[in-house]
Amino acid sequence: MWTIVMLTMQEAMRRRAFLGTLIILAALYGLTFLPKAFQQALGGSPKSFELGVNLMILFGVDIIKFFSSVLAILLCAGAITSEIERGYLAAILPRPLHRFEIFLGKWLGVMLFCVANALVWTTLLWVSVALQTKPRAEMWHALPYVLLYPMMYGTVALALSSFSSAPIASMFTVAAGAFAYFADHFLRPIAAFFDVKLLQQLVSLSEWVVPMAVLKRLVQARVDTLVPPGMNDAPPVGSEVVLHFLNPPVHLLDLVYVGAYLLFWLLVGLFIFQRRDVQ
Amino acid sequence: MWAIETRGLRKVFRPLMGGNPVVAVDHLDLQVPVGTVFGFLGPNGAGKTTTIQMLIGNVYPTAGKAWVLGYPAGSIQAKKRLGFLPEKFQFHDFLTAEELLRLHGRLARMEPATLNRRIDEVLELVGLMERRKSKIREFSKGMQQRIGLAQAILHDPELVILDEPTSALDPLGRRRVREVIQYLKQRGKTVFLNSHLLSEVERSCDYVAILNKGRIVKQGTLDELLVNRSVVTIELSQVTPTIREALGRIAQKVQPIDERRIVVEVEQERQVPELARAVILAGGELISFQAQRESLEDLFIQTIEGESK
Repeated sequence: MWTIVMLTMQEAMRRRAFLGTLIILAALYGLTFLPKAFQQALGGSPKSFELGVNLMILFGVDIIKFFSSVLAILLCAGAITSEIERGYLAAILPRPLHRFEIFLGKWLGVMLFCVANALVWTTLLWVSVALQTKPRAEMWHALPYVLLYPMMYGTVALALSSFSSAPIASMFTVAAGAFAYFADHFLRPIAAFFDVKLLQQLVSLSEWVVPMAVLKRLVQARVDTLVPPGMNDAPPVGSEVVLHFLNPPVHLLDLVYVGAYLLFWLLVGLFIFQRRDVQ
Repeated sequence: MWAIETRGLRKVFRPLMGGNPVVAVDHLDLQVPVGTVFGFLGPNGAGKTTTIQMLIGNVYPTAGKAWVLGYPAGSIQAKKRLGFLPEKFQFHDFLTAEELLRLHGRLARMEPATLNRRIDEVLELVGLMERRKSKIREFSKGMQQRIGLAQAILHDPELVILDEPTSALDPLGRRRVREVIQYLKQRGKTVFLNSHLLSEVERSCDYVAILNKGRIVKQGTLDELLVNRSVVTIELSQVTPTIREALGRIAQKVQPIDERRIVVEVEQERQVPELARAVILAGGELISFQAQRESLEDLFIQTIEGESK
């Protein structure tokens, strides 16, 4: 299985998706020095500089989340059916390997690749902050939870790729992510403020279908100290129940659910790949 | 024990979005003796590739069973003992020839020392020793086919399944493949060869099976199948009714081409001299006499056309 893991990582490094994200992130990296640049150009209090650095860390973590997820989706969506169609698996499948070894090898390969990338990007973010002010650790605290994003989207895309081509697998995964984002960022406030039960149920359901909001809260809990004062305060209206719905607390069970969710999709993909004809 | 054995093997593809099910392989009974070169023939869509895919475990049969060297087809034990060159394949082109073979050796769970030795051996065998450090993307289609053959035989398998191994090769490349097949045969390996190049099959194979519409329609050794039947083209000063009559008494089929030439088909090769004698006794002036053994291509076409009628 480790041969498949290594091969998958070698392949990933040569993919245009990886090179594309590398170029975009290199371009964005310059922006991480904006707080210092603004302070030097416009002056400003140490407090406002600190606020700028905090926001930059928050955005940096968000960008790592986003690009790791995009990379995982693009790499996983073409891992099975597209490789069969292109003939890459034709000479590998007859080798004395169980299909689950190939599937898990690919999953592990992409995940390790995404972990390595996120580590590099987080290090770069940390270096940028350390160069501008003192070294900070919040991004490292958030990293294990940030990694759950590419794991979740990558696993879903890989499961879909076990029976569908790369464009379809990536399209459905992105659509699932968009649905979860829409439910959390748009439907949740509407459902809370107007107290629409049906919408609230829909938002809760969306968290079960794609637990992106759960991941968001897990990451947020690690970078809460960076959030500018007043931003996360309770709105002046609404009952306790509504406020709770708007900003649910983080539980250990959330993490358990995310683990079970990953396992579910992994098993779905494994089951389909195990049972399907390959030709 | 057979190298390959199938009993009532059947595969039906059912389209997901409706439509009629397609029977690709229909109750296939096949026995491939160990240590032989076995030609697996059939027109396009006959079910050859589907059969091979079932033998290597890529496609699950709808019914029936298949064994490879005594192990259930698709099992790890069976896969350990077989090498496969697919018809359509793509190798990771960023790897060099040597890296590709190393990758496949690891996938075949070969010992590092054995792997190093075998890489040299198979590269030499397929004539790519000098290109061992070249990337696959720099290879021509023919060279890719040869490196494909190298990965198929790398782990010294007991059974080698070759799906159209000469399709992209020039005559020199084809000769190289024939030599590899003979080398494998000499070492007691079984080669299962699927090819449309019937002349290649005729030169390489001991046994042949002809598949049509998912069923075996002929199976046996080449000598059994091409039962001494001969076609003779006779050129005379003139083909007379007497000569035609005399030949007709011996031959299975007499077909005049023009006033001077006639084609005669006899069941047994030993009847050929009788034809010459008959012509002379009938007063014919013999100019040329060309006997030709029935080729595999003739047999193939007759068999498939006969099935279609």
